[in-house]
Amino acid sequence: MKYPSQQVAKPYFIAALALFVGQIVFGLIAGLQYLHGTFLFPELPFDVAHMSHTNLLIVWLLMAFMGAAYFIVPEEAQTELYSPRLALVTFWVFLIAAALTIVAYLFVPYAQLAAITGNAALPTMGRGYLEQPLPTKIGIVLVALSLLFNVTMTLIKGRKTSINLILVGSLWGLALLFLPAFYFPHDTVKASFGWWWIVHGWVEGDWELILGALLGFILIKMTGVDREIVEKWLYIIVAMTLISGIIGIGHHYYYTGAPSYWIWLGSIFSALEPIPFILLIVFSFKMLMQRRREHPNKAAMLWALGTPVMAFLGAGLWGFMITLAPAQYYIHGTNFTAAHGHLAFFGAYAMVSLAIISYAMPLLRGRTANSAAAQRWEMAGFWIMVFSMIGITLALTGAGIVTVFLQRAADDPMGFMQAQDKARVFFWVREFAGVAFFIGLLVYLRSFFIAGEYEYADEMKQALAA
Amino acid sequence: MKLLHFMPLRPCTLTWLVLLGLTTITYELGSWASGKLLMTAVLALTLVKGELVVSYFMGLRHVQLLWRLVMAAYLAAVGGVIAIAYLTA
Amino acid sequence: MIETSADSAQPLPGDFAIWIFIFAELVVFGVLFAAYAFARSSHVDVFNASQLTLNRAYGFADTLILVTSSYSVARATLSIKAGSSTACGHWLAGALGLGGLFLVLKSVEFHQDLAQGITLSTNLFYMFYLALTFFHFMHVVMGMAILAVVDYKAYAGRYSAENYTGVETGGSYWHMVDLVWIILFALVYVIH
Repeated sequence: MKYPSQQVAKPYFIAALALFVGQIVFGLIAGLQYLHGTFLFPELPFDVAHMSHTNLLIVWLLMAFMGAAYFIVPEEAQTELYSPRLALVTFWVFLIAAALTIVAYLFVPYAQLAAITGNAALPTMGRGYLEQPLPTKIGIVLVALSLLFNVTMTLIKGRKTSINLILVGSLWGLALLFLPAFYFPHDTVKASFGWWWIVHGWVEGDWELILGALLGFILIKMTGVDREIVEKWLYIIVAMTLISGIIGIGHHYYYTGAPSYWIWLGSIFSALEPIPFILLIVFSFKMLMQRRREHPNKAAMLWALGTPVMAFLGAGLWGFMITLAPAQYYIHGTNFTAAHGHLAFFGAYAMVSLAIISYAMPLLRGRTANSAAAQRWEMAGFWIMVFSMIGITLALTGAGIVTVFLQRAADDPMGFMQAQDKARVFFWVREFAGVAFFIGLLVYLRSFFIAGEYEYADEMKQALAA
Repeated sequence: MKLLHFMPLRPCTLTWLVLLGLTTITYELGSWASGKLLMTAVLALTLVKGELVVSYFMGLRHVQLLWRLVMAAYLAAVGGVIAIAYLTA
Repeated sequence: MIETSADSAQPLPGDFAIWIFIFAELVVFGVLFAAYAFARSSHVDVFNASQLTLNRAYGFADTLILVTSSYSVARATLSIKAGSSTACGHWLAGALGLGGLFLVLKSVEFHQDLAQGITLSTNLFYMFYLALTFFHFMHVVMGMAILAVVDYKAYAGRYSAENYTGVETGGSYWHMVDLVWIILFALVYVIH
């Protein structure tokens, strides 16, 4: 860490991890409710648990991205952050707003929440991921504006590297793509048309650019490879992301009332969306092989290399399996989609967030890298979480296939709940894998409480003795 | 391509003229031929044109065999897929 | 067509990164071509009928223009290797002019289609025709942007007989744009 103002990233990262824990807890509850529908009812019905699970995901990822921006932008621009105080105020506003929203979800019935918060004046509530009441949505916009103002001013006064331009540019995109959240017409076709531009404009387009920028930054720092080489790769990845993603988002328009040519355009272009992820894998491993130094933070390197691989599996492979229109016709809305959602969100965005946290947190705490013991805990957490998430994904895929064959594509289709019952074994596997994931997360968090810095001398001694 | 050495033209100029010629033939074929004959002839011409662009414009005739094979394989694959799709229509 | 020469062990011309991009783009176009061909195989009548309404002469002219533009870029590369950055700049300017002409001609075609009320929804053939040609159109725009930067640098004397990677890099992308158009012309305008 070179600039004191980068310290503002720290509360963002800590809050992100805390919210991550909350997300997993709600996930475990919702998963159990698949098996026992009345678990915690009526105190915590499934829809609230589910909504809290997905909303916390988005909020913690945004927290992590913001922290990453406050950490990376000054370092890349080689100047102090424009206003660390504003960043800190924004942090508290965002955290309190997010916490209040979740508390409101838990203790106020949703319809009543809508009535209190003025949803009648400007209806925005109710769509998946966008359940937040109006004041929260306005708060998100204000927080985003504050972030953009801060990092853009920093960028203007400092060095303009490609990583910074891509990062700040995609943060602008993130904010702009949130605006359709305020557009919720009665026409359900138009409503869903606009809706996809938000979360899916993020995850299939804009956030991939953020992911690229974060990964590029980490790899430059850790491998010592020339910036010029990393930047070239990033531009190619950005270009391929946009070429495939912008039209590829059309795979959400099938059978929704949008023109039928989207069936073709969406299928073809979304089938190309794995390409940028393949490029990311090639890029990361090439940088590893061309490395000019051995960075002591092995854990961060593990996250940085794991991200493109898992992102390719979750977003690329699992996404591809369900994206072609004829497949989607049967698979839409089954747990196959949930399998893709889990592995893609974790593999791409959760993991890149944990990668930047893994790289930045030791520096923010005044160390080059954590002690070898702490890194062992962190890497154990990495592997447990990765394999548990693969378990969750496979279980949900199994459940999805059951639904497809019994309820969707069958000659004599079963009812929804009957088919769900047949998939019970998969829901159990998912729940156990979820518990394993939670343990992995705790193991990972344990690494933060191991004191001490990485000791070159100790490691050398051990290596020589071995 | 030994012939080229006796020609007063640069290889890329000759390539350009050949490409113009082949494009004209392709265009003319479209006016009077149809069906499998047209498909086969035009695909063959197109693959030749593609290989000319790759070798003489992109300059891949000077590079490692691997890259020339990759490009040739690409053209063959695209041509092959199109041919299969048309023959099974 | 493959000619073996003494220096056949050279790396790819230009920056290697552009080749990663070129290969990725070729895969994208390859998938589009394959989708067109297979979509046609189940809608032969629609495709044949609509294809006949295209003005093949436009496609012919488009192809001649792009091939010539590509040739111009090849000459620009030869010029800079011979050490003449002015000639290189002129050839690139020529290529850019032809690229612009292509855009104008293609816009006229699009305008005529629109005037006839043809849209993506008209039928499956027109969906592919408009999507493919417009997607390629955007690649021409991007290729011209790259060439414009290279041309500016060429006139500014930033390239020489020893340092011409930039010209080859931009040129390779432009040739790729030409290459996919050659296939597109045959597939969409001619074969029926």
